[in-house]
Amino acid sequence: MDILRPLLLRAVTLFGVLIAVLVLLAASLGATGFSDRILEATVNEEIRGLRSSLAGSIRDPDELERTLQTRAAELRASYGLDRPWWVRIPGLVTRVLTLDLGDARSIRSYSGSTRIADIILERLPNTILLLTTSTILVALIGIAAGVWLSTRIGSRIDRFITYLAAISNALPTWWLGILLILLFTYRLGWLPSEGMYSVPPPEGGWPRFLDLLRHSVLPVMTLVLVSIGPSIYSVRTLTLNIAQEDHVNVARAKGMPERVVLWRHILRVAAPPIVTGLILGLAGSLGGSILVETIFNWSGMGRLYYDAIAGTPDEGLIVALTFMFTLIYVLARLLLEFLYLVLDPRVRYEEAVGRPA
Amino acid sequence: MRRLSDVLPELLSSAPGKAGTVLFGVLLLVAAYVVLTFPADFGPARWSNPALWGDYPKTAPPVWTNLFGANRPEHRILEARTPTRTDGKVKTYVLPLDYQASQPPTFLSFSVGDVTYQAHPPTVEAVLIRPDGGAVRLYQTVPGGPQPGETPPYRRNFQEPLRVQLETEPTAVEAAYNFLSEKYDPHLNFDEVGRQLPLALFGTVVDGRFVVLKGGYRLEAKVRLDNPQDSVGLVRFVVGGAVYGLMGTDSQGRDLAQGLLFGLPIALAIGLAVSTLSTLLGTALGLVSGYAGGPTDLLIQRAADIVNNVPTLPLLIFVVFVLGAKLWLVLLMLILFSWPGLTILVRSMVLSLRSSPEVEAARALGCSTGRIIAYHLFPHIAPFIFATLIFSAPGAILAEAGLSFIGLGDPTLPTWGQILEQGFRTGAVFNGYWWWIIPPGLLIVLTALAFMLISLGLEPILNPRLRRET
Repeated sequence: MDILRPLLLRAVTLFGVLIAVLVLLAASLGATGFSDRILEATVNEEIRGLRSSLAGSIRDPDELERTLQTRAAELRASYGLDRPWWVRIPGLVTRVLTLDLGDARSIRSYSGSTRIADIILERLPNTILLLTTSTILVALIGIAAGVWLSTRIGSRIDRFITYLAAISNALPTWWLGILLILLFTYRLGWLPSEGMYSVPPPEGGWPRFLDLLRHSVLPVMTLVLVSIGPSIYSVRTLTLNIAQEDHVNVARAKGMPERVVLWRHILRVAAPPIVTGLILGLAGSLGGSILVETIFNWSGMGRLYYDAIAGTPDEGLIVALTFMFTLIYVLARLLLEFLYLVLDPRVRYEEAVGRPA
Repeated sequence: MRRLSDVLPELLSSAPGKAGTVLFGVLLLVAAYVVLTFPADFGPARWSNPALWGDYPKTAPPVWTNLFGANRPEHRILEARTPTRTDGKVKTYVLPLDYQASQPPTFLSFSVGDVTYQAHPPTVEAVLIRPDGGAVRLYQTVPGGPQPGETPPYRRNFQEPLRVQLETEPTAVEAAYNFLSEKYDPHLNFDEVGRQLPLALFGTVVDGRFVVLKGGYRLEAKVRLDNPQDSVGLVRFVVGGAVYGLMGTDSQGRDLAQGLLFGLPIALAIGLAVSTLSTLLGTALGLVSGYAGGPTDLLIQRAADIVNNVPTLPLLIFVVFVLGAKLWLVLLMLILFSWPGLTILVRSMVLSLRSSPEVEAARALGCSTGRIIAYHLFPHIAPFIFATLIFSAPGAILAEAGLSFIGLGDPTLPTWGQILEQGFRTGAVFNGYWWWIIPPGLLIVLTALAFMLISLGLEPILNPRLRRET
């Protein structure tokens, strides 16, 4: 119970973020007349279909026009086109929440569906796969290398990591990806630079998995390389700061084994801020994954963004994608907040004493 | 207490700080040079104007690549504005060219411009004089005659020269064939000459195959004027190179060096504008939030919490997509999304300073809130604010570059991200046009790195605990 209350508070904030973003989306779509155009196009599409199907049964051209016009007016009313855009915001927000955004212009799902929900849900796991793999790798390597480095402060490798962290902050993820393609694909010819599977994809579970693994090496490597420097550096600094605290000295003075000191007195204390670091890095890796998918033609939602913008822009898809990315971000943050609460007893304690008895 | 004036010595005392300051200074100087010498409408008027780049080689690597590999021809633009010699009515413009590359030119073009005549247009004839003494007539043309209702003097081709692409010009093919077959090889294949005209014009025939002939060439443009007052103000002969300039060209023949130079002041402006304004906003809100407390504090902190939790890039993509690709809009969005972190930090600093003896004394003396904030709170956090300002600049530069890279860059201002985007979209990575891909990214890194190195030098200010290590 104690742990749930602060978590609930965070959940409410994050839900507020989601709604704020959605209202922003709806308002900017409405105020610029974008949504009117999308809906108008949908109405026209339906009327065109109706015209060809009715042309056989209604012979009189005047009557046909009349029927179509009444139908168009009905459709406009049902889409809310007869009302101003701000009245429609709640409707649009609900439709985005349920991904009920109609059909994509030219992009199809692999099964051939034109529904935006189908296309996006098909791409979602691919994005999650890329994002989680790289985030977990960064966290693991960062913690292991950071702790190890904190015992070698001032050494050559320590200075190297310090500079690497600074350079990483100045390195565009996507450009690093391009460099890796130039090196590993075109110069060395070791790794594929495009897609998730070979064409045609290999048969069977294992060969297919290995093929996916091969294709994911470069994108994952790109995402890991740009965030590994800062990750190691921050863990190293945190560990170092805590290792200088009095309680660590006391533990050592008591003659505790170094391993116990490290795990129980340093890492246990460093865990919450390390998670905070992960939370802060999340926005960066999300943005990075959008661009990395674009570079490597990884058929996730980031690449979909690029495809939806290039050529004739597809408004429905872009709205849906913006929402989905916000959703992923908010959910991932909630997950990390939960982890934070589990790791940091102080939050629970304060919450417990703060409540009236 | 650390003052703002302590920042510079602190910065210059560390190696990265020194390196960053020097790098930043160099970048500022180059940016100042660009701002002073480039036209403000460089984007639409030059960079995005294909007509200007017709006489440039397409996707040519930089000239200095010749140091490492093949002896590829440099790009040569030969121009004359006044005649070299005059024989009565015939004026000759001589354009000398020393050709030493082991490969033929990639293309040849000839242009005539700034033509003025009284009654009849002049006739222009281009002849290539080869090192072996051959004279090959490449082309003959007459600028447009008088239009009905026009009065003399007639002016022709002032805006856009009369331009001809020579390697597909039948006159040149025939003349080259006649000369080569007579002098070198009577069995020469006519179609072969047409297919490889630049090589035929700049080569000889050995065992039935063309070989580049090095040596001194010259193009003579013979202009026959009808009236002594008539004139031709521009004759241009372009020998298309396989390498170009310091940075090479893109697939439209654009000089990448120019585009890259123009991108520098934009990148610096983006970084500085966004970081300065978002730092100001963040500091102001943090000061107010921390000092005022109460409902104001709560409101600002809730707002910071929400904005802090918004993923920037997707929203940026969306807003730019809906409202149009304008640079100021991107900057505005970046500012609006980047203040919360600083606000939360400044607030916590103010909270601890608020109960300090200094502030309490000031309050007891009856200082106004504004005065307390300006004289007793702000100076304490100023160095920290300054360090944050520098630290947040690279993020803005990278965000704009990323946005440009997915095709949402401001089309009126060519940025490094856009150059990369065009390269990526047209397959420069696939084709290995590294000079189109690597320099723009490297410049982004270098610019962002200048800020990062400076902020590394300011690290003791950002994180005072680190001083204990040394």
